Amino acid sequence: MTTAAQNASSARPPFIGTNVPRTDGASKVTGRAAYVDDLPREPGELFGATVRSPVPRARLRGITLDPAFDWSDVTVVRASDLAVNEVQCITAEQPILAADQIRHAYEPVVLLACADKRKLAQAVRAVKLDLEPLTPILDPEQSLAKVDVIWGEDNVHKRFSITKGRADLPDPAASAAAIEAAIASSEVVVRGRYTTHHQEQLYIEPQGVIARWDEKGVHVTGSLQCPYYVHKALVHGFDLAADRVHVTQAVTGGGFGGKEEYPSVIALHAALLAQKSGKPVRMIYDRKEDIEATTKRHPAICEIVSGCDRDGTLRALSIRILMDGGAYMTLTPVVLSRGALHAAGVYRWDDVRIDAVAVATNTPPNGAFRGFGAPQTIWAIERHLDRVAQELGRDPMDLKAQNMLREGDTTATGQTLRGSVGVAECLEKALTASGYHDKRKAPPAVRGRVARGIGASVFMHGAGFTGSGEKHLKGRVAVDLLPGGRLRIRTASTDIGQGTETVFRQIAADATGLHLADIDFAVPSTSYVPDSGPTVASRTVMVVGGIVERAAREVAARVRAEQETSGGDFAAAADRLLTKEREVTALVQYEHPGWVTWDDSTYKGDAYPVYGYACDVAEVEVDLDTLEVTVTGFWSATDVGKAIHPVMCKGQIEGGSLQAIGWALWEDVVWKNGLIQNPRMTNYIIPTALDAPPMHVDLVEAPYAYGPGGGAKGVGELPMDGGAPAIAAAVEHATGLFARDLPLLPERLLELQTNRKG
Amino acid sequence: MSLADLPLHDMQRAASLDALCGIVAERHARGEATVLLAGGTDWVVEQELKPPRGDADPRPLVVDVSCMAELRGITATRGLLRIGAAATYLEIRRHPTVIERAPMLAAMARELGAIQIQARGTLGGNLATASPAADGVAALAAYDASIVVKSVRGERRIPFSALQTGYKQSTRAPDEVIVAVEIALPPEGSPWLWRKVGTRRAQAISKVALAGIAVRSEDRVVRLGLGMASVAPITATLLQTRALVLSRPLSAITADALDAAVLSDIAPIDDVRSTREYRKHAAKAVVRGFLRDLGAPV
Ligand SMILES: Cc1cc2nc3c(=O)[nH]c(=O)nc-3n(C[C@H](O)[C@H](O)[C@H](O)COP(=O)(O)OP(=O)(O)OC[C@H]3O[C@@H](n4cnc5c(N)ncnc54)[C@H](O)[C@@H]3O)c2cc1C
Repeated sequence: MTTAAQNASSARPPFIGTNVPRTDGASKVTGRAAYVDDLPREPGELFGATVRSPVPRARLRGITLDPAFDWSDVTVVRASDLAVNEVQCITAEQPILAADQIRHAYEPVVLLACADKRKLAQAVRAVKLDLEPLTPILDPEQSLAKVDVIWGEDNVHKRFSITKGRADLPDPAASAAAIEAAIASSEVVVRGRYTTHHQEQLYIEPQGVIARWDEKGVHVTGSLQCPYYVHKALVHGFDLAADRVHVTQAVTGGGFGGKEEYPSVIALHAALLAQKSGKPVRMIYDRKEDIEATTKRHPAICEIVSGCDRDGTLRALSIRILMDGGAYMTLTPVVLSRGALHAAGVYRWDDVRIDAVAVATNTPPNGAFRGFGAPQTIWAIERHLDRVAQELGRDPMDLKAQNMLREGDTTATGQTLRGSVGVAECLEKALTASGYHDKRKAPPAVRGRVARGIGASVFMHGAGFTGSGEKHLKGRVAVDLLPGGRLRIRTASTDIGQGTETVFRQIAADATGLHLADIDFAVPSTSYVPDSGPTVASRTVMVVGGIVERAAREVAARVRAEQETSGGDFAAAADRLLTKEREVTALVQYEHPGWVTWDDSTYKGDAYPVYGYACDVAEVEVDLDTLEVTVTGFWSATDVGKAIHPVMCKGQIEGGSLQAIGWALWEDVVWKNGLIQNPRMTNYIIPTALDAPPMHVDLVEAPYAYGPGGGAKGVGELPMDGGAPAIAAAVEHATGLFARDLPLLPERLLELQTNRKG
Repeated sequence: MSLADLPLHDMQRAASLDALCGIVAERHARGEATVLLAGGTDWVVEQELKPPRGDADPRPLVVDVSCMAELRGITATRGLLRIGAAATYLEIRRHPTVIERAPMLAAMARELGAIQIQARGTLGGNLATASPAADGVAALAAYDASIVVKSVRGERRIPFSALQTGYKQSTRAPDEVIVAVEIALPPEGSPWLWRKVGTRRAQAISKVALAGIAVRSEDRVVRLGLGMASVAPITATLLQTRALVLSRPLSAITADALDAAVLSDIAPIDDVRSTREYRKHAAKAVVRGFLRDLGAPV
């Protein structure tokens, strides 16, 4: 009897909920896993490089190739060589190569390829760009004020409004007046302005692809999250039929959103060079190029005015969000949307008006990054409620607990929460585990020149695509039956280090009664995996995992039916079925729960089918001399619905929280005249192991009825949301300094301290 | 340019220190560059920042000095601690005499970079690169160390106070090899401070770092060494501050006077790591902290 048969016939304990070894673990720790730059050189292969603009805004008057340089073995591609000069994203407004206008520093202008890497590096310097510099717009407020028009008609990438209660009026002016009136009539009115900054994803493996052409069309293999995004961009960029474009994911060393839309750009570049040279082209960015040229988290400014009762009941909320989209729109509308949808926090409000706008600046396009707009607005609302609590003389977490959404409550978009609302349990668990209340009541502990403080945040994050996104997307997964009763999952959801492969195997194994070893995971390639949608938006387990479960079940059911009619074990029945039918495959498409309704035109309804919830607590020590902040403990209780793999699930929460801590305390892209001053790991400061606090993660499981494996919801982005406000609250507790702007660098805290004294 | 694309360099070892001095002198006379490679933690990184070099461009000769016996070793004789220019930070921080008699140096070495850098990096490299942010150099400044250098013309000692002349400029001749540093050990148990204000806990370049060593007699400091990184074009030796502290009883030192002395000793700038204002603040704060530990009412 084979393993498959054995396990299929004898009941075994479930894999879901257990910490099975990662199926990609051994190859990664032994170094066997082949990342894109490890893939063997192909015959005749060239390296590709990019000539980029040294200035943020200019008219490009010409391009000269230094005549003293030997160009005989260098392939050169410029905008004038391109039939289609558009990167297809949401729209196609970003050029593949700048043609006559430079809109941001590091914008690609010329592509070069050469077999000799060092000669290639010199060739880059032998390209002279004739630039007439123009005054750049680097500040989103100036862009909004239209001091100059640098994008579209008015610099605006996108606007959204969300209205509720008395502000829910079709006429924007009337709605604005109504929310103002509602706030003005409240007993306690608080105003504040909160800002957040760029953040670099700093995945461990920089961007890279290999492109080649043959009779089947174009082939791109690379470090990427979303094979079908790259596919779409190549289809558009080369005007090819879909079946002539083949995009394959190489083992990928992290993405955090940074490999969501950007790989389309580098893939187009490599494919253009490969087309012109007739040779395979490998393009691998080094760290500096990667930090300079690729996307970052959108900076945001949030202005909040709120009204509440004396007893703390929150009533009316007005928020203005301004995001900096960078030079091109790319995914900005979606980031802005998620930011707006999370801006009211995890609280009940009667009347709401949220106005969100994103504008262009002459900086590299900002893009997807874990949290996708939500960390920016959650920073603002959490800090704001801390301010409200100050005003009321209340502990902020008591105030927040009083107003937290419960089952049956409605959100800012009018969505009624139908269950799987674990937020109260998260709050209770995190505050108890950290001893928050006792520590908070005691006066700030000062020992020598060090003050200790504790602070917390509570938040939610929508799982899956926003609104009707999943309906339009119709994510699909295929599961094939293989000889011997094994299964193969074919999906475009990629494992970028977060464990997709392992978790999908667990789900499929439990759906069928098979063993983990009987489930294969096909390398994601658009040539043979269906479009499951992108690997983003905390949707992989909840949405795609759900279809994996259904597809696996369907295939197993057909084998079982065969077993029942003709006997034998699972493997024998599978083989018989395969002989009969040649191919046994279930291709299953995602279906949104029927009750989900969303109106894109009014931004009303079920923004997400379900939310993950969490409460974070940070304890800090602040050196009163130097204002350095050390996080000495971090607690998170997170409602994930159901943890398929608790260790990896906690890993997401610990890693995401550390990324949030980094954003809060150290990470800072330093700009000067539109150029990045710290594009290196020595000076773009992410936390080291010594900076990471001990983490205490509690998993809360309020199952989502439509989630796989017994109720899983998304967890990828949630842990990025709450770290910064928790730390700021702790710093405030320790020092009395109330920070409204990230990051909380000692230099900034010093400014706050000086202003307070002055 | 990526480090992986660094062109090949000729590399060799020298049979002896004299032979090394000979190679350096000869090449120098011909106008050819020689790199003494100790840990490589500065030089290799610097190559990445340089424009790409073609095959025809001149490349320096790289001489590996990391194993040269005359540059290695840590010895203490009659109150004089001698640390070879190519001794690593890891060797320094683990050396019993350093731990016992120069604990400030050990503390500095423990916080420099992280273990990987400590296992390769050396004081010779730190001194030769001569960055004002160099932690090791700040510690040597506080010890008023002597730098032992050698060339074909012979060996000489440069007192720390005579070493640095300007941003990355020194009185060491281009053909002089750094052999060792010598520290006159302060009495056992002398109060000291190593306080690095970095960009994070490890793998961090200093925003401000203070090295301090004091000899106290009752209510007075009778000997004081201070060195500060990242607050001036060269390692700051805080001479006004030293003079102030030595000039009066600890109990008569005021915070205001101390702050004023520190400010007159430094000339910090805004850069990618920090701001001028913050550096001034932190410099004052860490000096106050040291004096407070010594018993001054600041
Ligand atoms: C990740 C990282 C973290 C770091 N953190 C710190 C830090 O916290 N604090 C700090 O101060 N520095 C830090 N550095 C810088 C560096 O490690 C130190 O300056 C170190 O002391 C350099 O020593 P080395 O032996 O590696 O020098 P090398 O790179 O080998 O040499 C540097 C220069 O010195 C010359 N040289 C070497 N030995 C001699 C000699 N005997 N005589 C004459 N010239 C010589 C070389 O020719 C070369 O020009 C860091 C570097 C890295 C990469």
